[in-house]
Amino acid sequence: MPALLFPAALAALLALAVPLLIHLARRSEARPTDFAALEWLREKPRPKSRLRFDDLLLLALRLLLITGLALWLARPVLTESADRTPVVAAVPGVDAGPPAAAMRNIWLASGFPPGDEPQASCLAQACPPLFSLIRQLDAELPPDVPLTLIVPECLAGLDAERPRLSRAVTWKIVPGAMPASAAPPLRLHFILPAGSDPGLRYLRAAASALQSPGTPTQAIIVHIAAGPLPAHLRAAVTKGATVLAAPGVTAAGVATPIWHDTDGQPLATMQRIGRGYLYRFTRRLDPAAMPILLDPDFPRQLAAILAPPPPGRAMARDVAPITGAPPWPVPARDLQPWLALAIAALFAAERWLATRRRRAVSP
Amino acid sequence: MSPDLIPPAVRNRLAGLRLTARRAVDLHGLGLHHSRSRGAGLEFAQYRAYERGDEPRAIDWKLYARSDRFFVRESERESPLALWLLIDASASMAQEDEANPGWSRLAAARGLAACMAELALRQGDRFGLVGLSSGGLRLLDAGGGARQRDRLALDLNALAAAGAFPALTQLTPLWDRIGAHDLVVMISDFFDAQAMDLAARLAGARREVLAIEVLTVSERDFAYPGGHRFRDPETGAELLGDGPALRAEFLARFGTARAARHARFDSLGIRHAALVLDEQLDVPLRALFGARAAGEYG
Repeated sequence: MPALLFPAALAALLALAVPLLIHLARRSEARPTDFAALEWLREKPRPKSRLRFDDLLLLALRLLLITGLALWLARPVLTESADRTPVVAAVPGVDAGPPAAAMRNIWLASGFPPGDEPQASCLAQACPPLFSLIRQLDAELPPDVPLTLIVPECLAGLDAERPRLSRAVTWKIVPGAMPASAAPPLRLHFILPAGSDPGLRYLRAAASALQSPGTPTQAIIVHIAAGPLPAHLRAAVTKGATVLAAPGVTAAGVATPIWHDTDGQPLATMQRIGRGYLYRFTRRLDPAAMPILLDPDFPRQLAAILAPPPPGRAMARDVAPITGAPPWPVPARDLQPWLALAIAALFAAERWLATRRRRAVSP
Repeated sequence: MSPDLIPPAVRNRLAGLRLTARRAVDLHGLGLHHSRSRGAGLEFAQYRAYERGDEPRAIDWKLYARSDRFFVRESERESPLALWLLIDASASMAQEDEANPGWSRLAAARGLAACMAELALRQGDRFGLVGLSSGGLRLLDAGGGARQRDRLALDLNALAAAGAFPALTQLTPLWDRIGAHDLVVMISDFFDAQAMDLAARLAGARREVLAIEVLTVSERDFAYPGGHRFRDPETGAELLGDGPALRAEFLARFGTARAARHARFDSLGIRHAALVLDEQLDVPLRALFGARAAGEYG
C-alpha cells in the first residue's frame, strides 16, 4: 500500500500554479497581432469565464514533472509489498523431501538462500546459531505468512532461550542430528611472566581462581612489558596461540572492544592475528583505573571473554519455538529512487518538447 | 538582381517565362513585342518601292532580277516594352506570418519585382519602379541594361513599408512617366480602395495593367489558436477576439471581398494572380506569363 513518510512536502504542489500561469493563453493578447485585413473581421463576444491554455501537451508534462517532484519530496514508500507465499525453511543438510509446490523453499542459513541452491550441510559441520536465524526469519517475514521449519532431531548451536516468535510455526522434525560443537568448556592455563609488576598480582589471583583440575586446557600467554609485541609472540599468535597483553603493548591491526564495564566503557579489546587472538586491556592494571580488578566476579568474566562457553545442544522436540512476540513491522519499500528515474525521464521529455524547432511561440 | 532577392530555385524556373503584352506597342528599338511601326525585322510585312536613303542591303535583289526595279523588303519591327513595377509600400505590406518571421508581404513583393525585372532584362525591355506610400513616391525611371537592374535592386532594398496608400492626387508623377501601352504590374494586397482605383484608372487609360495580390498565410487560413489583439497597421484600429470563434465568419467575408475584387479586375480587363506567402515566388508569374497565359503574338 503506498504511503508518504513526509506528507507536509505536498505543499510543494502549490508550484503547479507556475506552469499553469505560464501557459495561460493570455500572453498573445498582451502583444498586438498585425492584421491588415481587419476590415473583414467582425467582433464576436467571447466567453469570458473560460480559461484557455497554450501547448497542452507541454503543460501536461510540466504539471506531471512538478507533481513528481512534490511526491519525491514527500518520500513515498510502498508498505505490505512483500511476498506473501508461505515459506518452508530447512536446516541445510536435512532431508526436506521434494520441494513443496506454491511455497517459497529456503535454507536456514545466513542470507536465506533459495532451496535449489546447494548448501554446506549442517549435519556435518558447525553452523551459524540456529535460533538466531529463526528469529531473523520471523522478523523479516510479513506477520501472517505461514512458516514451516524443517529441523533435524538433535539441534546444536542453540542459545539460552527458546525462540519466541510472532507467529505459530510448523515445527517439522526429520531424522538427523547436528554435530556437537567442538569441545566441552576449556580450562584456562595462564602462562605468567616473572616479575613484580603490580598488575600481575591480579592476573595471578585470577589464574589461581580459575585453576581447576581437568583437561584439556587452553594456554593463555600473558605479556605485560610495554612496547611492540615481540616477534616470537607474534609468530605464536599467528599459529593459533592466545595472548593477553597489557595496554602498553602495541601490534599492527584493528582491535574491537569486547569487554565493557558497567558504564559501557571498553575494558579489553580483541584482535585477530593469523589463527590466534591478541586480547589487550585498555586500562592500566590498577584498581584505581580498573575497579573490576577487585570484583569477586573478575576471574569468571575474564574467563568468559577469553574462552566463551560453547553453544548449547538440545532435542528439537524440546525447543520448539513458542509464540507471543509482538509482530515485527515489515520494512516499507522506498520508492524515491524509482520516482527519481521517472522525474529524470519526464524532465528529458519536457526539454525535448520545449526546445524542438517547429514550435512557434515559446512560453 | 542581387542574389538575395531571387531564390536560386525560382531563378532556375524563370527560364520558361516571357513578359508578354496583349496589345502591340509602339516604340523604337529591337525587342520581342508586336509593333505598329515597320522596318527592319524578322516578320515580313510588305514590299515597297525604293526611296533614296534606304539601305542597299534592304533591297530585295531577287525581286530586282525579276522586275528590274528596286524594291525594299519591309518587316514588322519588334519593339521593346516598358515594364512598370508598382509596389505598394503602405504599412500593411509589412505584415508577416508568425511561422515565417522576416518574410513579409513587402519582401515577397521585392522578390516578385526582381524576378520580373530579370525577365525584362533578358528580353531587352525597359523597366522602372514606383514605390507607393503616403510618405512619398519612390520613382525609378524606366531604363534597360544591367546598370538599371542594379539601380532597381538598390531602390527595392531601400523600400520600407510605412504609412497608408497614397491618395490619387499624390500620384500625378505617374501619368507623366507611364506611357500608353506600357505594361504595369501592381503588387499589393489591394485591401485599400485607392489601390483598386489606381489600377482601374491605369487600365482605363490604355495602360496594360496586371495585378498580383500578395496574401499572408493567416489571411488564407486564419489559424490563430487563442485570443489575440488584432491591430490594423495602417489605421491602428484594434479588435480583441478569439481566433477559432472569428475564423468562419472572417473566411467567408474575406472570400466574398476577394471575389468582388477579382470580378472588378476582370471587368476592367486586368489580369490578376495571387501569391500566398507560403508559396514559391514564381507561382503568380507562371499564371501571368507562363506558356498558357494570355496568348503571345495575338
